Amino acid sequence: MRAFKFTPSSEPEAAVKAVKANSEAKFIAGGTNLIDLMKEGIEGPSELVDISRLNLTQIRSTSTGISIGSLAKNSDTANHPLVRRDFPMLTQAILSGATAQIRNMATNGGNIAQRTRCPYFYEVSVNCNKRRPGSGCSSLEGYNRNHSIFGFSDKCAAVNPSDMSVALAALDASVNVLGADGKTRVIKFNDFHRLPGDTPQRDNNLEHGELITSIEIPKSNFAPHSYYLKVGDRASHSFALVSVAAALELDGGKIKQARIAMGGVAPKPWRAYAAEKFLAGKTPSEENFSAAADSEMKAAIPLEHNGFKIELGKRAIVLALKRAAAGNA
Amino acid sequence: MARDTKVIGEAISRIDGLLKVTGGANYSTDFPVKNVAYGFIVKSSNAAASIKDIDTTAAEKSPGVIAVLTYKNAPKVAGSGNLSGGVILQEPKVDFYGQHVAVVVADTYEQARYAAELVKVNYEPLPAMVDFDAHKGEAVEPQRGRGSKRGDFDAAFVAAEHKVDQTYLTPVYHHQPLEPHSTIAVWEGSKLTLYNASQVVNGVQNAIAAVFGLKPADVHVVTPHVGGGFGSKGSAWPHVVLAAMAAKLVNRPVKLALTRQNMFNSVGLRQRNVQHVRLAASADGKLTAIGHDTTTHTAVTGEFIEQCGHLSSMMYDAPNASIGYRVLPMNVIIPTFTRAPGESTGSFATESAIDELAYELKMDPIEFRLKNFSMTDPSNGRPFSSRATAEALKKGAEMIGWTKRKMQPRSIRNGDFLIGYGVAIGSYPSRQVPSSTLVKLKRAGNDVTATIETAASDLGTGTYTIVAQTAAETLGLPMDKVEVKIGDSEFPPAAGSVGSIGAASFCNSVSETCIQAKNELQAKTGRTWVAPPTVAQLMEAANLNEYQTRVDARPSAEAQKYSSHAFNANFSEVWVNAYTGAVRVPRHVAVTGAGKIINAKTARSQIIGGCIWGIGMALTEASILDPRWGNFVTRTYNDYHIPANLDVGTIDVAFIPEDDRVVNRLGIKGVGEVGIVGVAASIANAAFNATGKRVRDLPLTPDKLL
Amino acid sequence: MTNGIDDREPGTEAELQLQADEEILLDELGIFGESRRKFLGKVAAAGLGALVLEIVAEQKALAFDAAEPSLSPLTVENPVTVSFSVNGMKKSIELDSRMTLLDALRERLALTGSKKGCDHGQCGACTVMIDGRRVLACLTLTAQCEGREITTIEGLSHGADLHPMQTAFIKHDGFQCGFCTPGQICSAVALMQEAKNGELSYVTADVRQKTATIKLSDDEIRERMSGNLCRCGAYPNIVAAIREVHTGKATDPMAELPLEVENASV
Repeated sequence: MRAFKFTPSSEPEAAVKAVKANSEAKFIAGGTNLIDLMKEGIEGPSELVDISRLNLTQIRSTSTGISIGSLAKNSDTANHPLVRRDFPMLTQAILSGATAQIRNMATNGGNIAQRTRCPYFYEVSVNCNKRRPGSGCSSLEGYNRNHSIFGFSDKCAAVNPSDMSVALAALDASVNVLGADGKTRVIKFNDFHRLPGDTPQRDNNLEHGELITSIEIPKSNFAPHSYYLKVGDRASHSFALVSVAAALELDGGKIKQARIAMGGVAPKPWRAYAAEKFLAGKTPSEENFSAAADSEMKAAIPLEHNGFKIELGKRAIVLALKRAAAGNA
Repeated sequence: MARDTKVIGEAISRIDGLLKVTGGANYSTDFPVKNVAYGFIVKSSNAAASIKDIDTTAAEKSPGVIAVLTYKNAPKVAGSGNLSGGVILQEPKVDFYGQHVAVVVADTYEQARYAAELVKVNYEPLPAMVDFDAHKGEAVEPQRGRGSKRGDFDAAFVAAEHKVDQTYLTPVYHHQPLEPHSTIAVWEGSKLTLYNASQVVNGVQNAIAAVFGLKPADVHVVTPHVGGGFGSKGSAWPHVVLAAMAAKLVNRPVKLALTRQNMFNSVGLRQRNVQHVRLAASADGKLTAIGHDTTTHTAVTGEFIEQCGHLSSMMYDAPNASIGYRVLPMNVIIPTFTRAPGESTGSFATESAIDELAYELKMDPIEFRLKNFSMTDPSNGRPFSSRATAEALKKGAEMIGWTKRKMQPRSIRNGDFLIGYGVAIGSYPSRQVPSSTLVKLKRAGNDVTATIETAASDLGTGTYTIVAQTAAETLGLPMDKVEVKIGDSEFPPAAGSVGSIGAASFCNSVSETCIQAKNELQAKTGRTWVAPPTVAQLMEAANLNEYQTRVDARPSAEAQKYSSHAFNANFSEVWVNAYTGAVRVPRHVAVTGAGKIINAKTARSQIIGGCIWGIGMALTEASILDPRWGNFVTRTYNDYHIPANLDVGTIDVAFIPEDDRVVNRLGIKGVGEVGIVGVAASIANAAFNATGKRVRDLPLTPDKLL
Repeated sequence: MTNGIDDREPGTEAELQLQADEEILLDELGIFGESRRKFLGKVAAAGLGALVLEIVAEQKALAFDAAEPSLSPLTVENPVTVSFSVNGMKKSIELDSRMTLLDALRERLALTGSKKGCDHGQCGACTVMIDGRRVLACLTLTAQCEGREITTIEGLSHGADLHPMQTAFIKHDGFQCGFCTPGQICSAVALMQEAKNGELSYVTADVRQKTATIKLSDDEIRERMSGNLCRCGAYPNIVAAIREVHTGKATDPMAELPLEVENASV
């Protein structure tokens, strides 16, 4: 880990200014991903601007829904009465991720900005376009059991590891960002993370020095019929092989609207638009869930070791929808 | 003897428990050594290469760096001793990925870690053998042939009415104890002290002494608490040598801890095994032939193989058997002992095949097993000194509720889950090896205290406690009057905690030493005692306030005429998510006949631990080698999944009482290994019963059961 | 037995015929140096001299009495001065900005109870409480701890006066090697408060339902303790210890277990 200057901050604007002023500076909040990456020699900032004490921790109702402070801890967010009541799927998604200790440290902004756990990204002795642009991707021809089946490129097939982001994608959230010019901008959640294309080194559309201040989730009627299902290699404390955020708005025995997003299958949370479209107006039956899943997964492209994710993805969509319909949340 | 001294067999809490729950137990890096410098390892990024040069300039200029140890400045060693993984930094050459090529030593850990990033190694890559699956056909007979034959396997197999002919795969497994291997090396003149996590205190002492050309007495190994080992801390590994070399180089004590990532490439592994099992039986369910051929790998620098076929050779009394091994030398860290080496992986193959044959015969798998074992070891013709297989099967069947099981797979469903039951049996050899103990008695009036000294180790195995129990009962003292001192090479040499030899070797030695102390004291009194005297009475009569004696205990010759093993039976209830293929084991039953159990509580815990290792083998663990470079893609606890708490359900443990005085005087068989044996097969058999899918390729991750 | 003294022959001097595999095992272990044969000779000649090294008994004292741990560092780049409280004691140290809380505790404050199992937030052996919440010391920069109250395993007991969780871990044998134990116990202690607060987990059946406090099922305990890995496999005993403290109902650690299993949660 390279030596760095430690810069405390107490105001968001000052923090943004400090990072903007140093192209090698980074924000640090919970540290659960960044410190790990710095110890591995993957990140080597010359300055860390500590934002952990900024007053960006509120979770509150707004006229359009809910606003979640970027620096609220994951555990506080999951347990917040408003989140539990109105977005129980977000609670489940957060709680399915990592461990109790990590969730007590990790912030919401850090969670959605966390980097992939692709083992080739982490092993500095091998090539990785995300870590060393242009060096080549080791996973495409390597061990890619937990890599993408959607949205990857010939430069990178790593998956986004965040569970929280999968639920936020399904809930059509947006991200509020403070820029160096002192202005805020809003990034729709679906535009927050990037597909790798030719620039896999960029995970998201934040510019250097931009600070996430809050995440907004619009009101919806999904709370009674939503579910976050995670399938991993361990029962707990593992990254998703496949996860599914499934939410249904039921109306008179019919599906008025469905929202489905998947984790573990793509470089970003993967909205299953085809499946959602299929389900609109249908009855919530296992047969329809299965057909919806098929319609989504037929576009998947397997790599050498991850073909199972197509079948697992289908089944996970069906089970998540089944539990959502049953009102399991 | 007073009632409170009859403690052998009781469920007594660990006497080292207070230290362990308060953070007071010192593991190797916890020792407060003054003026210590910190080492950080630079690893090879090639599986086979000659090193053209190492540029340490930038690292040496980095703040706080004292020195960088490489092949250029490493002292030449006197010999390799019994060092596992080879002596290193002796030549500019690497034989496996992750091999240590340099150690940066700095004033602080942060400085050493950063400077290690600055060391530049210029490699000339050499051809490397790293793709086992592509090259396993090139495997050769092991140098130490361990195959065996009886009868005419080929003829019997061809002639049989019912047979199984299948290949079972197990991946590379890593021990990954929670405490990374670590050493603090301190030189005082030509004497070396190593605070070093070691399962075998004298083994490390002897190996390091040989490397540096020192007398063993000049190498002092201190390891009072070991944070888990499971075989990986059974040998001395190169980092121990490097710590000592670095300390010499900078003339300061050096603390060198492996990173978790280092642990995958530097302290052994359980190798990948391809096991071809052929079983044949007559229509009435009698096994007629057992064939078990294992293909595996070792390092280019040395040979180590697990005896996967051992269980097949001795468990069932088929008249015809053929056990064989082939091994491929590879540019991968040398394998080493891993909890129940051979039996754990071998039992997955053997006991899965037995289950498959029971299905083929339409027989209950318990009945099939009961019909095919005998009380004589078919591999050597010796009688088993005791064997609780039948009792364990019967008791375990009751405990799991075997009557709930239906032969037909996919018969039981509860909501989203398919439920199945499985069984598998196992065994592990019981051995006592030479081990010495010194007992020191002190008397003040009627109050006698005993101190037991032996270079044994406790890696969670309960050595402190069982030694105290044995001494207390033998001397007729309460437990709190016995102090146990172990984990130090200055105590009398002892067996290690490995291969399930610990309890039998330590406790028999302690017992004999305490008996000798009493006998010698009695002789000194010159009296004949009518009532059994207490140690206090003996010391008083002999007019002694202090007395000590030592015994170098050995196994008996009689034991060699028998075959001695601990035997077990495992039963698993598994729930498979019918949608996602995720497998859970809400309940596992392990019934074991392991001779005399010294401590019912710690022995139960050891068995539970073995079962959880079996759950890991079966469900979650696998190390994946990249066939392009020979690195492990699974390189941290995030990728290599040892079971987490939620992966484990209820584990119910029972022991079959045994009084086997052949295996050793105290009748101890050991429980460290046997607990894992058969567990993975039991779970895989249950998963088949639940789903109708036979998985012969561990682990049973969700993708395998879709 | 004569006169209460066991006079069975302790072992035999006869050279033993070890089976081939045992010979190999012993050779590979190197217990006996160059060869087993030489060991036997050496042992016989070793005599009975008293060898005293009071390592084990004094360890605890050593760990806590370690002479004034160096509170000022050697020359480091980017030094930061941090003041915080550890186990109720105020500390102010100057350190390398890179130093994690775990390394500060272990290498600077002689509090070696918190363990470095993976150093990457994946094992839980370094779990401590900051301001009452369980966190990982290995991923916490000490520089970020200004003004915080830190509780480590050493702060849970006062001499032989143990925290009930520590007592329960001993009773239920909630550890073997003991290396993950400080983290497990800190984690379990914090978990008791989380349950009282009504905090949820992924296996909680209905997260929408309002709960003042949570009664932890075994699967709830397992899920919530899954951030603390234990390689020895003490999980069932850890669960038993936590269950006992959580419910206040003493249970027999050796009791036979019920025949029926709970529903699998996930």
